[in-house]
Amino acid sequence: MDLQALLKERFGYSHFRPGQEEVIKHVLNKRDCIAILPTGMGKSLCYQLPGYIMPGSVLIISPLVSLMEDQVMQMRKNGEKRVVALNSFLSFTERSRILASLGNYKFIFVSPEMLSHKSFGLHLKKIEIGLIVIDEAHCISQWGFDFRPDYLRIGEFLSSYNSPILALTATADSKVINDITRYLKMNEPIIQRHSLDRPNISYSIIQLNSTLEKTDWIKERILQTTGPGIIYTSSRKRADELAFELQEAGVAIQSYHAGKEQDDRAIIQEQFLNNELEWISATNAFGMGVHKSDIRQVIHEHLPSTIAAYLQEVGRAGRDGRPAAATLLYIPVDERMTSFIIQSDRPDESQLRHYANMLSEGRDPSESAELAGMTDTGKRIVDYYLERHTLDEVLEVMDTLSAEKETELRKMLHLVRSEQCVREMVLSYFGEQCNEKPEACCSICGLEVLEWLTDKSLKKKTNELVSWDERITNLLG
Amino acid sequence: MDLSSILLFIINKMNGERTLNAGLHLLRGKKSGQTLQDVEYFDLKPLFGIWPKLDEVLYQQTADELINKALITSDEKFCRLTEKGGVEVQHFQLPRFKGWDYRGREKVFFGRIALAVQTISYFRTGSTSFNPIQRDREIQLFVKRLLEGKPLTDPKFGKRISEELKRALVTSGISDRQKYIFANRLTGRGETAKTYDQLASELDSSPSAVYLLFIESLHMLLPVVENPENYPFLNKCAFDIKVHSYLTDSALRTKKLFDQGYSMKDISKTRNLKMSTIEDHIIEMATNDERFPVTHFVSKDTIQAVLSKSEEMGTKRLKLLKNEFQMLSYFELRLILTVNREGDS
Ligand SMILES: Nc1ncnc2c1ncn2[C@@H]1O[C@H](COP(=O)(O)OP(=O)(O)O)[C@@H](O)[C@H]1O
Ligand SMILES: [Zn+2]
Repeated sequence: MDLQALLKERFGYSHFRPGQEEVIKHVLNKRDCIAILPTGMGKSLCYQLPGYIMPGSVLIISPLVSLMEDQVMQMRKNGEKRVVALNSFLSFTERSRILASLGNYKFIFVSPEMLSHKSFGLHLKKIEIGLIVIDEAHCISQWGFDFRPDYLRIGEFLSSYNSPILALTATADSKVINDITRYLKMNEPIIQRHSLDRPNISYSIIQLNSTLEKTDWIKERILQTTGPGIIYTSSRKRADELAFELQEAGVAIQSYHAGKEQDDRAIIQEQFLNNELEWISATNAFGMGVHKSDIRQVIHEHLPSTIAAYLQEVGRAGRDGRPAAATLLYIPVDERMTSFIIQSDRPDESQLRHYANMLSEGRDPSESAELAGMTDTGKRIVDYYLERHTLDEVLEVMDTLSAEKETELRKMLHLVRSEQCVREMVLSYFGEQCNEKPEACCSICGLEVLEWLTDKSLKKKTNELVSWDERITNLLG
Repeated sequence: MDLSSILLFIINKMNGERTLNAGLHLLRGKKSGQTLQDVEYFDLKPLFGIWPKLDEVLYQQTADELINKALITSDEKFCRLTEKGGVEVQHFQLPRFKGWDYRGREKVFFGRIALAVQTISYFRTGSTSFNPIQRDREIQLFVKRLLEGKPLTDPKFGKRISEELKRALVTSGISDRQKYIFANRLTGRGETAKTYDQLASELDSSPSAVYLLFIESLHMLLPVVENPENYPFLNKCAFDIKVHSYLTDSALRTKKLFDQGYSMKDISKTRNLKMSTIEDHIIEMATNDERFPVTHFVSKDTIQAVLSKSEEMGTKRLKLLKNEFQMLSYFELRLILTVNREGDS
């Protein structure tokens, strides 16, 4: 099989990107594989191309419905019609229709919770599955806002299939790799890792003394340097606040977070893609499924809770391969703030006992969680563990999980405070060595004034204000 | 019009007999017995559910401003207009909302138009690939069906839709400002829509005022396009937007049993619901059906007596009326006040 020719014919690319070909070969040899490729390197090709060679369908388990819809849309856009997404948002009739003709689809995207639907399992059994893909597989070893108990159950579901399993993720240290192997019950998986290093991104870590100083720094920076860029903040309120301040200074910026109206969120994203906005200030709700290759800057104005999360967000910059800058602003109180946020979903012992008690009295779970003062995420975590452990064991698990979170945060803090090359540290955290440092490496190695950064030639697109009927004419003729 | 004038209007209507929070529930369109009943008592159907996601903080801020300006007073129990507020509210022209008919579904109507317009805008300029500005799967499927087989690349098609849309906007009687907002919530090739924030700063207004103007314009547009001959495209976009049964699903099930002759007690048992819930359902049914057989529950004379007393006392507060009519239950009193709405409007 000439993979290269197929790549050209089906996707129009003349070369594989690093790592892709290897992963595809493992999969075609029916080996389980964990592929760790940086975001934007083209992970989806690793299952799309084999899909055209292997008999049967490719089942892709994807954690976020929005992400899934986005991928399906992207594939349809590229001309693949035999693709479908199954999730709990579909109406009953629509779902039944799809299930009845499941075999007609080459690529079947499902959300983890679909796996526990009986009817889905029954229909799936009737068709041939050539490959099973778990996207964003690192979710398996997380808790926090993205904790997905359904994800942990995938392994139980998979044990009745013998198709090869491909786990995809952008960031995974050895603990995550172990978790993935164990929970997915993978069979001696080949670990295919491509360097996480992004030589075109330079890292700066800047210590300041107050939130006010952060605001001033950001303002000055944005007025003097180029976008497009994203500012990540720890809260919706702060995202709004920064957007407001910068708008006053004449910057084309909007805030983006889950508290905004659905339509407004779509509009803001579209404006950013079209360069009508130069900057976005956002919580971590922004970024997944945003395909913009020319993002020049990512600024963190809070302390991310893990290095992995930090790297994921930084990785949204410079996907076009041109230089990009990542900046992290840090003030000493950030540590407490982040620690507070990561522990906020963790139910304490008395809450947990209270909750378990109410459940044993046969009360409604959601109501009980509310009465016990647990968050939605907290409830999800506890429910998962209560299903398979005793209360005392669960308490222990909570302690372990929470200690792990705290450890992750320590590592992030260590990175921020260290006097060592940022690139080296980040890579070593993922078990990689830094073989070659780019010229513009990091603030520790020393950064010259970056010339491209102060080039403000990017002209923001400004649409003239036109009357209502003129606008409709512009749109429709 | 903005949120504060609407709030003032609501508080005025509620006549000092409800808490501040009743207004929030009303605007959000909460489907509880209490809110549904308030809508009826106080003649507030047009404002029901015009802002399903209204932020509690924004609501509170708006109320605080009214308090600071001494237009309203509010204690733990009740909220009422001050004299100054009473004068102020006279200047307020009631916007032309039809909340009771649309209940947030107007946004689906607009979503369909927006996605169809975007699709046509791209296709007519020769490109078939874009990020749909509507993420809602149901809207996407609807528009896909709506546009299936249509000559999207034919300039005449886009022109026809354009002409229909402009004609409808003019006919609806919305203000120029509203037409501007409407047009700027549409996205197409090279023209992305604007957020409420952006429109507010362009129009020198507040985001909430822009939002309310936008919703009102949809409520005014929807009745216009009920005629499929004049508005073939928009009429299709309005499919299934207006509520046809004003009852909640649960109340509908109760109604079925009631119509079959079950007693309230039987219904409560069969459906395994509390009696108070069934009472709420009955009230809901009475609210929505002029021919509801009230005399099943209370005699004509009793109704008359309660109504004249209520008039005399100038109140619709159950507690006060209950003192006067010890032999009647709260449920019966509620029912009487509900069915009388026709009479006093
Ligand atoms: N071999 C290749 N050559 C050129 N472009 C590629 C190649 N593989 C993938 N791409 C492009 O790279 C982009 C990112 O791919 P995607 O699969 O979405 O990345 P990831 O899932 O790793 O973030 C897509 O636009 C895709 O078309
Ligand atoms: Zn360095």
